[in-house]
Parts: sequence; structure tokens; C-alpha cells
Amino acid sequence: MYKYSKFDKQIIKNRTIQFEEQVERRLKGRLTEDEFKPLRLMNGLYLQLHAYMLRVAIPYGELSHKQLSKLADISDKYDKGYGHFTTRQNIQFNWPKLTDVPKILSELASVEMHAIQTSGNCIRNISSDHLAGISKEEIEDPRPWCEIIRKWSTFHPEFSFLPRKFKIAVTGCKKDRAAIMVHDIGLRLKKKGREIGFEVYVGGGQGRSPFIGKKINNFLSKKFLLNYLEAILKTYNQLGRRDNIYKARIKILVNELGEKKFKDLVNENFKKLSKKNMLIMNDQIKKNFSFFKLPMKKSLSSKIPKINDYEYKKWISQNIVKHKVNGYSAVLISLKSYGKPPGDASSHQMRELAKISKKYSFGEIRVTHEQNLVLPHIKNARLYNLWLELKKIGLSTANINLLTDTICCPGLDYCALATARSIPISQKISEHFKKFSKQIEIGKIKIKISGCINACGHHHVGNIGILGLDKNGEESYQITLGGSADENATIGQIVGPSFSENNLIGALEKILGTYLKKRYSKNEDFLATFRRIGIDEFKKELYDNNTEK
Amino acid sequence: MAKKLRGNFFFLTANNLRTGQVVYYTKTGWSSEIKKALKIKRDEIELYQSIGERFEKKCVIISPFFVELNDSGKIRTTRDLIRLTGITFKL
Repeated sequence: MYKYSKFDKQIIKNRTIQFEEQVERRLKGRLTEDEFKPLRLMNGLYLQLHAYMLRVAIPYGELSHKQLSKLADISDKYDKGYGHFTTRQNIQFNWPKLTDVPKILSELASVEMHAIQTSGNCIRNISSDHLAGISKEEIEDPRPWCEIIRKWSTFHPEFSFLPRKFKIAVTGCKKDRAAIMVHDIGLRLKKKGREIGFEVYVGGGQGRSPFIGKKINNFLSKKFLLNYLEAILKTYNQLGRRDNIYKARIKILVNELGEKKFKDLVNENFKKLSKKNMLIMNDQIKKNFSFFKLPMKKSLSSKIPKINDYEYKKWISQNIVKHKVNGYSAVLISLKSYGKPPGDASSHQMRELAKISKKYSFGEIRVTHEQNLVLPHIKNARLYNLWLELKKIGLSTANINLLTDTICCPGLDYCALATARSIPISQKISEHFKKFSKQIEIGKIKIKISGCINACGHHHVGNIGILGLDKNGEESYQITLGGSADENATIGQIVGPSFSENNLIGALEKILGTYLKKRYSKNEDFLATFRRIGIDEFKKELYDNNTEK
Repeated sequence: MAKKLRGNFFFLTANNLRTGQVVYYTKTGWSSEIKKALKIKRDEIELYQSIGERFEKKCVIISPFFVELNDSGKIRTTRDLIRLTGITFKL
């Protein structure tokens, strides 16, 4: 994984000192809250419902065991003993004191971490495929490119005050596990003849106006990546709306101008920038790739142990992914234990997992945008022992890609913007559908829950999406169907009037019942059935004879 | 701060600047104990709004606003109730 240079270390140290001074000035009244707010936001510090919230960046979701251990320490020392992994591969602490934040940033800096640009109208953490570098079908590892973009975008003076926040995701596969189509810019590595370059998508996003990204470049040569990104950002910075927060994202600009006009404007800027010395040279690329070499020296003939234990077998069937190096597997660790808040990990779990990753996975951990963790390089022969250790700390739930593997934002329990609670809804779903045989019968499905229209829980791209609303002071839940965040990304369709919390589970039962009744076979998953039969069949079953809305 | 408020009675609330803790305005200043919160009438809103702003300037609290109460004097919205009682699920 990437190691900070002296320069990286210095700028993080400087920023920490700078923020400490800013906090001091705020506490002494030399900065008003209006003056301080943009400064704290640029360091990931929000004010939420109950307290401050600090969002810490996990670049492209990659963590070392030392970093995870430090996050555990921070959550014990300055928070309430847990952290929340987010849908953008970051971690949030929900209860820090303002006076402690400089100390937290300093502790983070000691393990090459920070909270810079995890908020504010700037380029946010670059996200990526959690199986980057270990997937067999990958064209190329996207992480070195994420790192190049991270360096370019950190403290970029021109793009520190954009019309709105800006999110970039990169994948190296045709199969999209990074949700690139619902990002402001989505990059996919692809091959053209012998050359590898990028397919570029722009203007995807969720929130109150969801859009799927538009392809504006079918093949961008690697060396022009930064020039092209700069051209896109420049176009957005010049023309993006600043008069209306709801219309300020690039997706609105792309949609209003139209794909062709936007593309032409980007190309004009690209031409102007071609003289600027931002070409990425081969030696820089090589240097970046050197940080992301696979840690194992050779493949093995190591086999997955066959143990007669039902729980272990379930876990092997759901949570293990084939590694591109023979004899190894990637292990997905579900942070969706039944009845627990999705994405949360206790300090004990984080600390123990850090030790486990050192023992079994070369000290590497990944965070997925679906709020799970990954141990990327496990010798197959050690899987049973690993499972035993994960079981001890409550991290062996076998439900990856099943119904209870829900994505969920913090919702009204924490968030100042939310209109309804989302975590208790997720917990209810998880408790109700926890029977493994039932989940297996239903098969692959993505349920995503947001507590407001800002869609941090990605409900628009859930196969079943749940959006919490406030109807005259009462929480209600709107259901969308058919959404998807993969390579065939689709925005879900609203199925009809919303449901009260008490009737939501019944509605889900009906939707799943329709699916089970209408699917061709067990091999046709929920999304495929939805795409074949359309929303009306579901509506009919859901609302006919249904008294409660 | 006082826009579009429903009802006739309110609490003045904010977060403690240093800790972020939820606090309510009482007869003796700011407290995390709701029991001590001062019940404010609609025609007193302007007065207490300026009190909130004054404490914000003094760097005691941050983001003051009014909590709406219903006719029986209880907190009206789910948001304000959660803000008072804490998260509604088991960790």
C-alpha cells in the first residue's frame, strides 16, 4: 500500500498544527462560527444532531493493521468505543469534542491518515473497487491511479471552492464494484489494442436528482488523465450553479447542457490545458505501481479446509472471493451482524481485526462502499482458523450479497439533515429475515436505506431502495425497485405511496413474495426478474387489497 | 432561527461549543438537563433569540434554535425527541 513521502508527512503535520490554531482562535472568539465552519468542514468536522462528527479519510478504502488499530484507540480515547464505516469507504466518529479534534488529527497523522477534504465543496476521498489488485478479471489495478488523483486533488487551489462537493471513483474491471456510474466522475480502466486507458463517465449521482453518469470519453490515454480531469473540473467550476444548492452538482450541469455540449466544452478546455505540464510520465506511473505490489511471492496449492460445521460452510459459501493468485482468497467481513447497525465496528472488533489482519492477511484491510471490510490475501488453508478467530469477535456473519447485507446511512438517529430513522429499519429487516435458508432462497439482492433524499444510503440504486420521509411529523418509508449500482447501473422506480414503519416489513414480504412467485428459476435474481416483468406486477401485489399506505 | 415555528411554547436549545453536547437554556444558563429548560412563550421568541445569539458570540454554544412543544408541553418532533433522548437503537 501507499507510503507517505517526507512531503506528504510534512503537509499533514502542517495542516494539523494549522487546525489546532484555528480551533484555539474559535474557542477564544477570534473566529466566528461562520468563519470557522468552512475550516472545520475542510477537516471533516461536522456538527450533527447530538454532537460533532469527524469523518476520517480512508483513501480508496485501504487500511493497514496499524491504521485500524489507531482508529480503535481513537474511538476509545476520544469517542464512545465504536466507529461507523461509510458508503464512501471512510470512517466516522460520532461523538468527538471540538477540543479533542486537533489531538485526534495528530494521532491520525502518526499513522499516515487525516480527515482532509472529507467534507466541503471540494474533491472528496477517491473511492475504488474493494477487490482492486486481486480480481482475476481486472484490466489493471486502479489504486495507483486513485493515488495519482488523490495527490493532484489534495489542496488543489482552483478546486477547493467548487459549486458543490465532488466525488470520483475508479475501477479496473468491467464488473463495477465501485459504483462509478453514480459518481461525479467515474473512471474505468479499459484496453484498446495493447494500450490501457480510461473510459470516462461524468454527471452521475444520487441525492434529490439522481442521474446515471454519461460517457464522455471512450478511451483516454493514461498520460492525459490529469489534464482531462482538470478540464472537466474547470468546466464545472466555470459553469456550475452557485445560486441554488440543489442545482449545484455537476450532474445538473451535464443534464442542462446536454451530453454533447458538455463534452465539447470539456474538449475545448482540454485543448487549452494540453500545454500545461501535467502529463503523467511512465516513471511516475511505475513508481506509483511499486506501492501496490501483491505481498505474496508465489502462488500455492493451498486448499480451503473442508470442515463439517454448518456455520463455517455458510460463511465459506457467502463471504469468500477467489483471489487472482492461486491458493489465496479474499475474505469479506460482514459489518451487518443481525440486529446491529450496518457499518459499525466496536473498538474491540477493530483492534482484534487489526491483529488478525497482521497474522493472516499481510496486515491489509479494505473497506467496501457497501459498508463491509475485506481481508484481501488469505491462504486458503488458513480459512478455518481465520473463521474461528472472526467468530470470537462477532465478525463471522455469513450474509454477503444477501438480503440482510443492507447499506444504511446514519439517518435521524445521528444526522442533522435526515428526515427519518434508517438504522432501526435496517435492524428490523435484519432481525425479520435473518433465517439463512430464507435468505438463500431469495438469493442475491441489494437493499439500501437512506434517512433522507440526500441518499447517503444509496437507496436510488438499491434493488429495493427505502427512503425515509417526514410526513407531518410522522416517519414514513417510500420504496423504490429495480435500482442497481453495478456496470448496468439503473435508478430505481418508486413503487407507490409510502409505508409506516410498522407496515414496512409486510410490504417487503409482499415484494419478495412477488419475486419468488414470478422468477423463472432460482438462477434469476431479484433484479433480473424485476427487469423482465416490470414494476406493475409488484405494484399490483403490493397495493391491491392493501389497506394501509 | 425563529422561522416557521409551530405552537405556542418552546425550549431554546443549542450544542456546547467545546464538547458538542446538546444543551437547553435554563433560568441559570445552559444545561444538558431538559427538566431545567425554560418554557418560552411565542411572544418571547425575539428576546430569547437574541440571548441565544449573545451566547453564541461569547463562544459558549453553537447553532441555537427553538424546540417546538405541543399543547401538553411535550416536544413535538421526532428529531428533537431523539436529540433529547439519544439514539433509538441498541449499539
